[in-house]
Amino acid sequence: MPRDEIDGGRTEHLPGGAEAKGGLSRRSFLQIAAGATGAAMATKATVARAGNGWSMGLEGVPREKLLWMYETMLKSRWWEEEMKEAFLAGKDGLYGAFHISIGEEASAVGVMAALREDDYIASNHRGHAHLVAKGGDIDKMSGELFFRSNGYNLGFGGSMHITDVSKGILGMNGIIGPQYLFAAGAGYSAKVRGTDQVAVAFGGDGSVNNGWYYSGLRNAALYKLPMIAVIENNGYQISMPQARTNNLVNLSQLGAGMDIPHETVNGMDVLAVYAVTQRAVARARRGDGPTLIEAKNYRYYDHSGLAGAKPGVFGAFGLPYRSDSENRAWMAEDPIPKLRRQLVANAILTDEEATQIEDAVRARVLQSLDTARNAARVAHDAALSHVFADTKVPASQFAV
Amino acid sequence: MAPKPGNYAVLEAIQHEMRRDPHLTMLYEYQRPTAVSPTGTVIDLHAEFGEPRIPDWGPIDEEWFVGGGAGIAMTGVRTIARVPSMCTLRCFELVFNQVGKLRHMTGGQVNMPLVIWQDASGRRPGSAGQHADAGQEALYAAIPGIKVVVPANPHDAKGLMIAALRDPDPVIFFHYSGINSVSVDVPDEGYVIPIGEAAIRQEGTDITLVGYGPAAIEINKSLPDLAAAGISAEVIDPRSIKPLPIEAINASVRKTGKLLVVDHGHETLGTASEIIARVAMAVPGAKLARSTFPDAPPPGAAEMITWMTPDAPKIVDAVRKMVA
Repeated sequence: MPRDEIDGGRTEHLPGGAEAKGGLSRRSFLQIAAGATGAAMATKATVARAGNGWSMGLEGVPREKLLWMYETMLKSRWWEEEMKEAFLAGKDGLYGAFHISIGEEASAVGVMAALREDDYIASNHRGHAHLVAKGGDIDKMSGELFFRSNGYNLGFGGSMHITDVSKGILGMNGIIGPQYLFAAGAGYSAKVRGTDQVAVAFGGDGSVNNGWYYSGLRNAALYKLPMIAVIENNGYQISMPQARTNNLVNLSQLGAGMDIPHETVNGMDVLAVYAVTQRAVARARRGDGPTLIEAKNYRYYDHSGLAGAKPGVFGAFGLPYRSDSENRAWMAEDPIPKLRRQLVANAILTDEEATQIEDAVRARVLQSLDTARNAARVAHDAALSHVFADTKVPASQFAV
Repeated sequence: MAPKPGNYAVLEAIQHEMRRDPHLTMLYEYQRPTAVSPTGTVIDLHAEFGEPRIPDWGPIDEEWFVGGGAGIAMTGVRTIARVPSMCTLRCFELVFNQVGKLRHMTGGQVNMPLVIWQDASGRRPGSAGQHADAGQEALYAAIPGIKVVVPANPHDAKGLMIAALRDPDPVIFFHYSGINSVSVDVPDEGYVIPIGEAAIRQEGTDITLVGYGPAAIEINKSLPDLAAAGISAEVIDPRSIKPLPIEAINASVRKTGKLLVVDHGHETLGTASEIIARVAMAVPGAKLARSTFPDAPPPGAAEMITWMTPDAPKIVDAVRKMVA
């Protein structure tokens, strides 16, 4: 099944019909890019114009931030890869939901690179990369997938519900759509408390097919809330291609009817996502309300679980709803080697240093799985606590 | 201290708590939160607290009040979601899968100080079908992690609202319109009626009558006739249905040996069913009966809906038969 071409949304759409750039053609954009080299590229004009469907240069982005992007995408990538291997190996008896976000790291990391530690995110079922990028502790993440006592949610949640309120992570969530309401609410809360915090909702292309995205964004626009909605459009609502779930090609257009600034970005380019999110964050912090960002990307594995996945093989193949060559086409655009090539080519890192970073990340990931393996199991009767703040519920399963 | 209408009493409670908690916020759709007491005192929450705690406008969007309110509450700001009229269930999914579950699902990480102030129409002629409903509190009470209170008069409404606004967990406050005109003194100062504490309205020895909200109003109306018939009824208003103060009811039935539960919700799987089941297990041999609205939607014509509603004459008749 060929996927919709990433062809549109090259213009940031602003309310009232104003547009951030005047419909540049591909050729004119490339001419601008070719004509400006080195640090001179980091002009406001390029930041304003790049992103929307195009790849970005790294000029103007501090070295530490570039290294953080590289390391964080790797951390999420390898954490999910090693967890996948553990699921497939079967030795750990892993069970439960497992929605792999491999392939989608650039949108998570690019968005989070533009946020502060005290900002909020409301994540969805495919949220491991969001958590890692927002500062989530991979030891606690691993513990939660093993349903152990060292897990983020103490074994109550599993993969799909990992939450860290202390880091502004309002939780992954197994239901499609409430993220938009939660993020708008968190933005409302920032207004009440008089802070300049921003709240970001993450949803997939399927998440705009019920009404909550509309309610969250519509009210964020009404009350000018510091909210950003990020639609990570990986082309498939579970196994249903976007063309069969939506009349739109570019889901960012949904912002037009609400007069909300909206743009489509190349979700396989972390720097492009970062540039677009920076604009949205600035808008939110200065009280100008929400932004809708569509990041087009792809997941290399199945919707949930490990259909088509094999030990030691990167990606899931032979899935009935998409072609292997389509998967490989997107893998050829993989954001991690792409950033690595940029970092090396622009002398931010040597190739050797890039490898060292990756090796260290991988070792740290494996250590987190070991920590989970060795963590204590949960007590069965803990299940009756945390329903309410200060009382347990009765164990009604015992009749007499 | 003087009688105050129910709406005024609830706004007095919210005003009291908004003065204590500088962040307490309310989302609502219409009916700007203002009220005038019988002595002329005006409460205007928007004028007093302003944007954004009391927005001066709002959409017809129950999912926003509850889902957005949950997002506000999760970030540490206590929030009231005012859900207007007709006992709507539009936000039910959000209450079921998010509001009630998030604390548990996250291993205790998420606090949800959210009060859903749910208007409830109650059985009344002329509205028909969607605007004459009752009993939805039982649906919400079936959800883990949710507390549900149903005041039967303005005094309890104020005390229960203040309790809800100090509770660490989500509370649904069912506000039946019929309670607004019940004449009862309401203190000016703030006070708490603990959630989960029943009110024993009248002590008696022949039979226990249990009902809350609109059913409690009808039970109260039946008391002069019962007294005239020489029947000594013990009357309990549970006020909270989750947690349900079942021990107060059990203790009374152990004394009287008879229980009539009056419920304006439907017969099947309503609050009356739960109370009867619990008492049946705890007090073997007690004589148990319930009077509920039938398992049919409420019709508009007065002849039909009045005939269907468990009201004072039907309560008197049932009690007479049970104690005969």
